[in-house]
Amino acid sequence: MPAITLIEAVNLALAHELKRDNDVVILGEDVGINGGVFRATNGLAQKFGEDRVIDTPLAESMIAGLAVGMAAQGLKPIAEMQFEAFMMPAYDMIYNHIARMRLRTRGRITLPMVIRAPWGGGIHAPEHHSDSPEAQCAHIPGLKVVIPSNPSRAYGLLLAAIRDPDPVLFFEPKRVYRIVKHEIEDNGEEYPLGTCFVDREGTDITLVSWGAMMHETLQAADKLEQQGISAEVIDVATISPLDIDTILESVAKTGRLCIVCEAPRSGSWASEIAAQVSEEGLFHLLAPIGRVTGYDTTMPYYKLEKQFMPSVDRIIEEARRLVEYK
Amino acid sequence: MAYVFELPDLGEGLPDATIVKWLVNEGDTVKTDQPIAEMETAKAVVEVPSPVDGTVLKLHGKAGDVIITHAPLVTFGEAGKKAAAPAPAPAPSMHAQVAANAEKASATSGGGEVFYLPDLGEGLPDATIVKWLVKEGDTVKTDQPIAEMETAKAVVEVPSPHDGVIAKLHGKAGDVIITHAPLVTFAGKGGAAKAEEKSEPEAKGGDAGTVVGAVQVGNTIVAESSDAVVRALAKKLGVNLASVKGSGAGGKITQADVKGAAGKSTASVAASASTMPSASVSTDNPLAFRASPAVRKLANELGVDLANCETSGPKGTITRDDVKAASSGKPAARTAAPATVQPAASGGRLQPVSVTVHPEAVRGVRRAMAQAMTHSHQTVVPVTLMEDANISRWKKGEDSLARYVRALCAAAKVEPALNCWFDGENMERLVHPAVHVGIAVDTPDGLYVPVVKDAHNKSMADLRGDVEILRKKIAEKAIKPTDLSGATITLSNYGSIAGRYGTPIVSPPQVAILGCGRFRNELKMTERGIENQRMLPLSLSFDHRACTGGEGARFLAAVIADLEKPE
Repeated sequence: MPAITLIEAVNLALAHELKRDNDVVILGEDVGINGGVFRATNGLAQKFGEDRVIDTPLAESMIAGLAVGMAAQGLKPIAEMQFEAFMMPAYDMIYNHIARMRLRTRGRITLPMVIRAPWGGGIHAPEHHSDSPEAQCAHIPGLKVVIPSNPSRAYGLLLAAIRDPDPVLFFEPKRVYRIVKHEIEDNGEEYPLGTCFVDREGTDITLVSWGAMMHETLQAADKLEQQGISAEVIDVATISPLDIDTILESVAKTGRLCIVCEAPRSGSWASEIAAQVSEEGLFHLLAPIGRVTGYDTTMPYYKLEKQFMPSVDRIIEEARRLVEYK
Repeated sequence: MAYVFELPDLGEGLPDATIVKWLVNEGDTVKTDQPIAEMETAKAVVEVPSPVDGTVLKLHGKAGDVIITHAPLVTFGEAGKKAAAPAPAPAPSMHAQVAANAEKASATSGGGEVFYLPDLGEGLPDATIVKWLVKEGDTVKTDQPIAEMETAKAVVEVPSPHDGVIAKLHGKAGDVIITHAPLVTFAGKGGAAKAEEKSEPEAKGGDAGTVVGAVQVGNTIVAESSDAVVRALAKKLGVNLASVKGSGAGGKITQADVKGAAGKSTASVAASASTMPSASVSTDNPLAFRASPAVRKLANELGVDLANCETSGPKGTITRDDVKAASSGKPAARTAAPATVQPAASGGRLQPVSVTVHPEAVRGVRRAMAQAMTHSHQTVVPVTLMEDANISRWKKGEDSLARYVRALCAAAKVEPALNCWFDGENMERLVHPAVHVGIAVDTPDGLYVPVVKDAHNKSMADLRGDVEILRKKIAEKAIKPTDLSGATITLSNYGSIAGRYGTPIVSPPQVAILGCGRFRNELKMTERGIENQRMLPLSLSFDHRACTGGEGARFLAAVIADLEKPE
């Protein structure tokens, strides 16, 4: 089994599905001959032909609109947005058409499509290349929103997203594209959507995160362990629909919850998780729910980027505050 | 001093680039921004500009060679020093501005491994060498300080990135080293250790002033924990993992096993539904009780153990009323039959000694006592003086309690330092003009300390009367908080039960407490020969932070003097 990066895992999953299912097509800016801005589609056009891996003009609303038409007519398009923030021009398509097609046609037409986008900050990119808009997207009924945190999950969850009969937004944490390698067998085995992964079991506090922040969160859990605090760590993975049950079960066990995400604080998906746990799990809470998030500002340029993003220390500090709360 | 220009990040998100063609030769003089090489990345061929004016001393590689990002590309001669910082990489195309920035690592070049001065602050351009802590030829260990460097902010020690032998120190004390310029060169490959990942991607010059991104490049190989995935899948499909037989290595359950089990039976769905942890009966675990944070806070304030509360709320939750009821001493409605099974031993809590006797929650007055004593123990620095008073001359039927109170008042006049409050945190003391005597009263519920106010102004009869009133209030549970607060000194008359000397516990912010032991008869030499005398043992504890030993001793002497008066 080769050890591959997250971006290579994405490439592997795309290749697997292109081969397995002739209805699968890829479209986007530079995805064809060029292999994509991050090389996610590297070599696919050469291998599967330019009518399966289609270079499009630089127009995101058109890419999304094209995908709607393809999916409505039986293809399984996988559209790439070069960065999550460039999805905004496609928002009309995403919000008003992609998310509602099944509802408006009373189930006659579903859109089996995926929009992939590199997501999140921490790579010293300009500010509109570093956003974390998962909460905006998860707010839209009718969309699934998936964020893998490591290469294996990128492979397994992307396969599941492509095979899902409904539209899925698949956000790839670009900071993790190349920092971790997993040994992955290209066996076509998908991972379940809509289910959290409990990556580490613990008894004193539940740490919940997703995407790139899983790495800081797991590191924080390691350090907390050394300080005698046993943290359970949950990778949300599917932002929407949210698997709140797994989180509630964990909170019922630990009594404390800290949510870590890199998006701005207000209205972040951390807020939604906190709200749901307050509704259903209040009686298990021994301390207020903690959030470690970005700040309510646009992602700053790179010199302040580290200050913006939750650090291991910030997570530990908040976790300790909650555990020591009396 | 030569300046080594490292291959900047070329705006692609890839860790290296291939030399297509050198545009300069060794020995050439170049200007800032003059293209020096054509490099091919996975995406494009770009020209790399010179970061400085200077002479090309050495080209690191030839056409066709792959250069790792941030490895040396060109070494410039003396003139190169003038440059403040490496120039930015060529502006990448607008829609593809993200580039790889190889992990911060010392790159291998010609003779040895060069360690470049990392950014010692947040974007500091340079630092001055204060002192070398090693010399050329030294063997160093990872993290061993190699130099003291002064930045605009502070003098910091720069640690070695790995084990190795120092081949060259780039500069001497007083020299300014530009951030990311060479600091030391290690001999050979710098030992076995590859530079540890420093996770400081912005530390490289390639980012300065550019608008590129830096996708971190690492090589950490990890195995996905299949457990988390299998559990998630089982949950999704409603499969009870306990009933699944694993076909993987060592009996491990695989995704296929879970899918197989899901296909076979839907009955297992019910079994898996009860994954919520069942309410534990152990009072050890606060989560054994369903109570909102506000209710828990109230219970904490009232000193009520949730184990002693009814659960009258929905779904067996404890309400505020349940806590209040438990606090007011209403018998707990939890009349569950005594467990016939001894609870499993659990960390640190008292274990029941038989099946019919269980540890009871310490609450109410008893709990307050425990907390007050803990507080005292943690804050006060106590010392206890012990001495006897000869009370042989007391009249028959003398009211001993009133005498003790009077003696305290008399002593407070002689030595006011003990009739005092002390705040050790703010280092303040408050010497009281009035004497309010707290009197420790033992009851079945626990310790009460009602206060006789303005004892210094009262007659013996009044003092006795006050004490009786307070005792009655305690018996009738009518004692008010105001009756229990404001003592300036305390009296503990344990001698009415038993005990000669003691080590009474000071109750902060008070600084002193007098313990009166049990009278005893003793043969004493007197002017009239050997006589039977009545002796009263006294134990005076005081907070040595607030009073000197002399003050304590003078106070005790004054107490004795008053007690030894005939009336």
